[in-house]
Amino acid sequence: MEPAALAYLAAGLGAGIAAIGAGIGIGWLASSSMEGAARQPDAAGDIRGLMIVSAALIEGVALFALIICLLLVVLV
Amino acid sequence: MIARLRAFAVVTLLVLGGGLVAGPSPAQAAEGEFTLESIVNNTILGHATDGNYLNLEPFGSPELPRIMLVRTADGSLSLDAYGSTKSMLRNGPYGLVAHGASGEGHGDLVTDEAALDEAIAAKEHLHSGVARTSGHVVADFSITRHLVLSLLALLIVTGIFLTLARRYRAGVGRTEAPKGTLQNMMEVMVIFIRDEIAKPNIQGEKWRTFLPYLLTSFFFILVANILGLVPFAGAPTSNIAVTGVLAFMTFAIGLIYGSKDHYLELLTGPPDAPAFVRVILVPIEIIGLVMRHLALAIRLFANMLGGSLIIFSLLGLVFIMNVVFGAAAAWGTTVISIGFTVFILLVKLLVAFIQAYVFTTLSALFIGMSVEEHHHDDHESEETASHGGDLESRLDAVEDAVEPTPA
Repeated sequence: MEPAALAYLAAGLGAGIAAIGAGIGIGWLASSSMEGAARQPDAAGDIRGLMIVSAALIEGVALFALIICLLLVVLV
Repeated sequence: MIARLRAFAVVTLLVLGGGLVAGPSPAQAAEGEFTLESIVNNTILGHATDGNYLNLEPFGSPELPRIMLVRTADGSLSLDAYGSTKSMLRNGPYGLVAHGASGEGHGDLVTDEAALDEAIAAKEHLHSGVARTSGHVVADFSITRHLVLSLLALLIVTGIFLTLARRYRAGVGRTEAPKGTLQNMMEVMVIFIRDEIAKPNIQGEKWRTFLPYLLTSFFFILVANILGLVPFAGAPTSNIAVTGVLAFMTFAIGLIYGSKDHYLELLTGPPDAPAFVRVILVPIEIIGLVMRHLALAIRLFANMLGGSLIIFSLLGLVFIMNVVFGAAAAWGTTVISIGFTVFILLVKLLVAFIQAYVFTTLSALFIGMSVEEHHHDDHESEETASHGGDLESRLDAVEDAVEPTPA
């Protein structure tokens, strides 16, 4: 295979794997925080804020991967 | 409804799958005026990334001035300024870098009059790089679209808040209730940032020092993000340089206002840890500090760029279908594309607010972490009393509150 084709393949696979990872992470986070909010409705506001911050942190890692994929496609 | 959506998805998948099986042949694509490559390179990436022109397309695309710091062939530095890319190519010692060329070799430059005219007529000069025929460009200080748009965002924010400041000085909102939609809306957001972002994340009374920065960054990012939804404009925050500078400001504030405790822990490791653990932990702490702020920049940049790339890709699908399968497929795709685009635009409006909130919250968190002081004498009481502090202690506090008491 040509190097360019390999780069496109790698970018596509990488984006997919990054999406899987981020999906698992954020899904887990959402499930736990919903559970938390259901058990302790008083803390729901606090939990929501923390959930958004943690989701942003998880998303940041996934976005790193996406940027790498984008660079693979654009720079080849 | 769901069944209909599923049918749409199946049709889309079939169409896309068919495209993969049939394989767009380059000869077929080259026949039309639009080729796949020009759609992807010029239209999609050209809109989403920065450029030296304003994009007002049906009414033309005015070019912006180019200012280049160059090292000429005899080794001296000089500043070149031209009114536009067009005049720089025509009058200056510059050539267009041909597509596919790396830009290093001078042999690939397009410099002769006829070829340049052709490239300018096809607007090729707006999407490809330029290089000097003799000497090289040290730094490109050209005014770009994102710079113009961030100045516009700055003007909007300054305009809104100077107007409001005048009102508060006159007493509206202090001695009586705030008046009008604008003042009420902004007061809600300012108070939200003060009470929900600055106060819980920054220890003690120190939030007063950093509230102006947090408010400025929140409203600048918010306005910049919303500019990405305005026709003819674009989000300046979809530029890594803009978000990088914003994140660097947070980093610099953390370094300048950092407490002695923060520096001590950063440079010598956690207290009462053995020496060999410190050797491992100190580099990790320092790398972590830098990566945190780098991630802050990348997060905002990738979110905004991702949003516009998705929209352009969805709309570009219509033109790609036109090139690959013909007009009928393009008309069929238009309905699906526009439906998805409207949905993504709504998501982008949500993301504009969420990303401004997240950037401000994380800035407050990072600044709070570096200005935090540990009171060693009343450590115990502080632990129980604080409901602010860093992320870990807040997470612990919520965990304790949420955890059911063991029976």
